Amino acid sequence: MAFLELHGINKSFGSNAVVKSLSLDVAKGEFVSLLGGSGCGKTTTLRMIAGFETPDEGRILMDGADVSGLAPNRRKLGMVFQNYALFPNMNVRRNIAFGLRIARADKARTERRVDEMLELIHMEEFAQRFPHQLSGGQQQRVALARAVAIEPAALLLDEPLSALDAKIRLKLRDDIRAIQRRLKITTIYVTHDQEEALSISDRVAVMLAGRIEQIGSPFEIYNRPATPYVASFIGTLNLLPARVLEAASGLVEVDGQRIRVAGSLDAAAGSELSLRIRPEAIAIEGSSAANEAGDGRETLRGKLENLKFLGSIVRQVVALGSREVYADVFNDPSLVFPSIGDEVRMRFARESCLVSPNAALAVAVETED
Amino acid sequence: MKQRKGLSWLWFALGMVYFFLPLAATFLFSLRGKRDVLSFVAYKNVFVDPIFLRTFSFSLEMAILTVVAGLALIVPTAIWIHLKVPKAKPVIEIFTLLPFVIPPIILAFGLIRTYSRPPLALVSSPALLVAGYVIVAFPYIYRSVDAGLRAMDLRGLSEAAQSLGAGWIHLLFLVVLPNLRAALLSATFLTLAIVIGELTLANLLAWPAFGPYMALMGRNRAYEPAALAVMSFGLTWGAIGLIQALTRSGRDKSAGLGTGAR
Ligand SMILES: Nc1ncnc2c1ncn2[C@@H]1O[C@H](COP(=O)(O)OP(=O)(O)O)[C@@H](O)[C@H]1O
Ligand SMILES: [Mg+2]
Repeated sequence: MAFLELHGINKSFGSNAVVKSLSLDVAKGEFVSLLGGSGCGKTTTLRMIAGFETPDEGRILMDGADVSGLAPNRRKLGMVFQNYALFPNMNVRRNIAFGLRIARADKARTERRVDEMLELIHMEEFAQRFPHQLSGGQQQRVALARAVAIEPAALLLDEPLSALDAKIRLKLRDDIRAIQRRLKITTIYVTHDQEEALSISDRVAVMLAGRIEQIGSPFEIYNRPATPYVASFIGTLNLLPARVLEAASGLVEVDGQRIRVAGSLDAAAGSELSLRIRPEAIAIEGSSAANEAGDGRETLRGKLENLKFLGSIVRQVVALGSREVYADVFNDPSLVFPSIGDEVRMRFARESCLVSPNAALAVAVETED
Repeated sequence: MKQRKGLSWLWFALGMVYFFLPLAATFLFSLRGKRDVLSFVAYKNVFVDPIFLRTFSFSLEMAILTVVAGLALIVPTAIWIHLKVPKAKPVIEIFTLLPFVIPPIILAFGLIRTYSRPPLALVSSPALLVAGYVIVAFPYIYRSVDAGLRAMDLRGLSEAAQSLGAGWIHLLFLVVLPNLRAALLSATFLTLAIVIGELTLANLLAWPAFGPYMALMGRNRAYEPAALAVMSFGLTWGAIGLIQALTRSGRDKSAGLGTGAR
């Protein structure tokens, strides 16, 4: 049974409907991310769970009990904010002890718990420092310890890493997950960073304009995006305009070249579609390579325009008409690439090519930053 | 570049002369109480005057009451406005200008007219004087507190405290007030300085306060008012120095604790 349940939540600010009939079940000990672009209602959703905003409609249940009427300080939820929000007048130890002090826990127990927390975040030697004497990453670790110290029913984090440097962000991301696993604490994590969400979560809820577009494991979200928006928001995606030639056999035309997609098409001949292919699903071959028919793979011809080394991945940029198509391969010293300017063939499995109605092209496509 | 620097020093020096020359002149003048020698006799005269002590301690008492009442009224209000109705901030800011725009004499007559007959016959109570002083001090207290609140991410801190189980009392005493220390100190000293020297309200409500006493002295004596002026300058500067020292020592203490454990 779900531990934290949101049922049909609606929330507007004035005439601005920010969260729309949103429902979400989170199991005990689960790590769920709310992922979406800026302004899609992630923070508002989290703040409703925390009790800082009141839903216009819908119910929020924790452990089966409706908490809608409960003030934020009665919900026993740990919260971590983007800007840390440590108490500047207290040192690290007293910051971490704050919640226990409020709850009038006895002194020895509080001290013990704070020591445990300091150890958990590897900051024993910083116990007497004040927030302004710590780096951003250290401050956020303290904020995490402070939230966790009260043994909250659930942990809520709102973009906790977005104010930090890339390197610290990666380290702290792993630390957060490790601590969450160790304490088995139910966690809701808000982020606009898809890589962060995919790497840290048990499940990811992709939000768009106040609704959950899709919720599923990172694997499902990445490999089986339920909507064009999810597909384009997650990872990098090639979008190719196509025209239907023969719906029944899945024959389409892309930039004057004929290919087949898997299955039959639910569209009239001559209508416009868009094809979506992940860069890693496309392999590049020089045009002299032999035999291409009969292996269930499709071919598009283009001209190699650029090679980008992205560390572990090499991105080959191929010009197809006026468009650029990305094809990624894992970096390997033994790789031999065609020369820039060469004619190349892009080969991919029919199944890796997803079809969506042309309207999907209107959705803002988020590829790389 | 060099020329620029020389020029700014010149302006600075001019400013200092403009500021200190009258002060030095007043000070010298205050030492002339005895013919042909420099002496502190004017200061002595001030201190031995029993009315000085009486009026000063009365005004100090009123000032302390004003500080207490003013802070108790304005600090929670300012916090409330910041947290719950931030849209009202500009309106309150206009209110804070009213005591400057409306002369104190109008405030005094308003208070007298309203509170001189039953059911609110308070004119003879010092409470009315303090209430009037709270109005006069309101802009200074509110603006100090407002600046302090703006500097501290009140919303973030209060939400963090609430999520950790804190109610309003905890929030106020454990989080907000400790971080408002500098603002509260400056509000306190400003209020003390204003109330102790205040003339109009005390005069019209007929209280034996320090402001009217100083005015009286100014009319009847020569050297003693100068001595009083110098002393009040000294007092104000002492207060400013104290604010600096107290806020700095707070910071140093925290820094010291941190380095001690390194
Ligand atoms: N307190 C508020 N008053 C009015 N509008 C708000 C308030 N909080 C958020 N909004 C609006 O709600 C929308 C969603 O905000 P938010 O939940 O913060 O988005 P996200 O966290 O996904 O970026 C935004 O358009 C924002 O302007
Ligand atoms: Mg947000």
